[in-house]
Amino acid sequence: MSPVFNYCPRDGRHFREDELICPLCDFQRTVDPGPSTQTGLPPKPRHPWRKLLYVKQEYPDNYVDDTFLEELQKNANVRHYEYWSVVLESTVISQHISSIVIFVAVFIYLYLEDLSSHALITIGTVGTAIGYGFWDWSNSKSTPGSNFQRRKIFKGAGLFFLTLLGLTPILKTLTEETSKDTIWALTVILFLANLAFHDYGSGNRRNIKYPGSLSTNAAIFASVVLASRLATNLHVFGLMSFAVEWFALFPMLRRQVKSISNRGNLALTVMLFLTATTLFSQISPAIVVIYILGMIFLTFVCPFWLIWIQRYKNEIHGPWDEARPKIQHGRSVDYN
Amino acid sequence: MPYNICMVSDFFYPNAGGVESHLYHLSQRLIQRGHKVIIITHAYGSRTGVRCLTNGLKVYHVPMLVVFQAATPPTLYGFFPIFRSIILRERISIVHGHQAFSSMCHEAIIHARTMGLKTCFTDHSLFGFSDPSSIVMNKFLKFTLSDIDHVVCVSHTSKENTVLRAALTPQNVSVIPNAVIASRFKPDPSMQDPNVTTIVVISRQTYRKGMDLLVAVVPRICRKYSKVRFVIGGDGPKRIDLEQMREKNLLHDRVELLGSVKAHEVRNTLVRGQIFLNTSLTEAFCIGIVEAACAGLLVVSTKVGGVPEVLPRHMILFSKPEEDDLVEALGRSIEMIHRKEVQPVKFNDELKEMYSWVNVAERTEKVYDAISQTRDPPLIERLRSYYGCGVFVGKLFCIMIALDYLFWVYLEWILPRDEIEEAPKFPYKKFKKMCQRADKEDELEPSMDSA
Repeated sequence: MSPVFNYCPRDGRHFREDELICPLCDFQRTVDPGPSTQTGLPPKPRHPWRKLLYVKQEYPDNYVDDTFLEELQKNANVRHYEYWSVVLESTVISQHISSIVIFVAVFIYLYLEDLSSHALITIGTVGTAIGYGFWDWSNSKSTPGSNFQRRKIFKGAGLFFLTLLGLTPILKTLTEETSKDTIWALTVILFLANLAFHDYGSGNRRNIKYPGSLSTNAAIFASVVLASRLATNLHVFGLMSFAVEWFALFPMLRRQVKSISNRGNLALTVMLFLTATTLFSQISPAIVVIYILGMIFLTFVCPFWLIWIQRYKNEIHGPWDEARPKIQHGRSVDYN
Repeated sequence: MPYNICMVSDFFYPNAGGVESHLYHLSQRLIQRGHKVIIITHAYGSRTGVRCLTNGLKVYHVPMLVVFQAATPPTLYGFFPIFRSIILRERISIVHGHQAFSSMCHEAIIHARTMGLKTCFTDHSLFGFSDPSSIVMNKFLKFTLSDIDHVVCVSHTSKENTVLRAALTPQNVSVIPNAVIASRFKPDPSMQDPNVTTIVVISRQTYRKGMDLLVAVVPRICRKYSKVRFVIGGDGPKRIDLEQMREKNLLHDRVELLGSVKAHEVRNTLVRGQIFLNTSLTEAFCIGIVEAACAGLLVVSTKVGGVPEVLPRHMILFSKPEEDDLVEALGRSIEMIHRKEVQPVKFNDELKEMYSWVNVAERTEKVYDAISQTRDPPLIERLRSYYGCGVFVGKLFCIMIALDYLFWVYLEWILPRDEIEEAPKFPYKKFKKMCQRADKEDELEPSMDSA
């Protein structure tokens, strides 16, 4: 069937009924002889509608075909979670919360002079040495042959602790003038920032990258602020070195443990949980109750919540989505 | 029956782009068909006030703050007084907004509905549903399109997208494609270099246009085919990547970067090549590939959005938006050109009948015919449709519409409509006759001189 023009597509002339050729540009106005001559016959079946723009179709412009929204995909790449695996994954968060709680407890003991600075420094050093030994051992086991720059690490560690020792008097007096209330409030905010920006997802075991670095900085800053409340320089040094070990190095070790074994990860979580509970039970039983309830909520209720709320997920995909370009061989410009 | 139509969009000349030319050409054809058309846009630099373009197309440049890429921020009611004055002055009966990015267009549609005019909206682009900017934009769209007479989309994919985004009835959405002036894109094989195959790319150099793919593909094609050259036109943030690619691979003699290409130079750039490459990642209706095919180029394009609907299969080769597939498709197209399996020179004749502005105007007119017969819903009915937008947002929208209505009543009182003078109508027929007479005289004069 050929199309009928009411107007010339070249110059827009309105055709009179009897005109077959445009008088201005000689455009052939093809007339369909069908309806006028075969009025008695049943109409021909219509061509099926096609999703094309370059063909003239005998359908109105607002025609809606049965194929409308055929390519719509709903929830195409939704992950379905399993309860226990989510519970297991939630340990990264509970571990981190426990570690913050433990740090605060340590500070309180130090502040109340229940814990001597010597003891803290000894515990910190021994713990770090054991942790490093384990980290190095497991790394060399997974990729044998490489020595992971041991010399550089030792040199860096020595230099760092010497600098810290030198800076201790400055750190001690840095926020000494600030009132206690401000310090406590600031500490809470900083630890919340630490909690919010901590690198939970990546399995990065070698270094700290943005936004994880933001979180580490917040924690270190919080300990600098807290350190000004302590009595002697040695106390400050003890707390600061512990903070660096606890917030910069320990998360890497935790990730390492998690990547190696699930059982070890679980054991570490329970250990941190018990340590935090025992440390705080001396300070405030109320906080211990809140902490335990919070942990139960986080570990057992939140995963259930996540799985339940998934039923409301409604993700729509279709041909209108921006395609993701796949670059296979070409060296695309690296922005990192 | 001739209508008085007002087109509203933030995007109009001197800004260059697809929406701008769509507005201009559609208005021109509608004027030729006897309607009166005006355009409302915002002021561009020193271009403020009222301008008259060809055939008495009046453009109102409303002074407004421009924030980002020629778009104005939403003013809610700030635009209403001047908009009402223009509408009354010009005796407008249909308001036709363009482009979802334009907040001016959204406001105009809402105010026009308050004033009881017929409204229509054309969507020119596609949006996803996942990124934050699209979510905000979709909310806005849902607001304005809750109470609209008809929506026009440029492709079937775009229609599906708009129907989903704004929760419309699909019967109220028409598909009317863009068009090209085929006579401005006449192919010219003599401009081509016979010794090499030239691949032309003209697009804004942004991420959405797939410039990362282009950067990856160009060196591989150059390595694989020694007799292939690239001509790349356009400008944008990704231009630096293209230049780096050229430096790195020492392709200065084979990759020509033209920078931004002016609208009237596009055809002259296109005809230098045999193949046109489009690497877009999303596209409602790619006018670029139609222009290229019109200019006699074989098109290679990523198969995204509405692109598969636009060109007949013998004019275009599709590829996935992947580097390997694109290299393969380009290879095929180069082979086809070598073996002369296709004759792109003939594309122009085929396309000029498929995509003409007259056709677009004719179909748009049908939309106007349909909407001018609809009954105006009472205010309460309008409020009801806005109320359905959402639990919280529905109430907010209702408040906004109610305020808009009150503001309109206030404007009617402070600035009565009888005091607004009617603008004289541009005598298009008389003007055309005078033009024809002048043309004839021009033709006569030289002949008289020679005699």
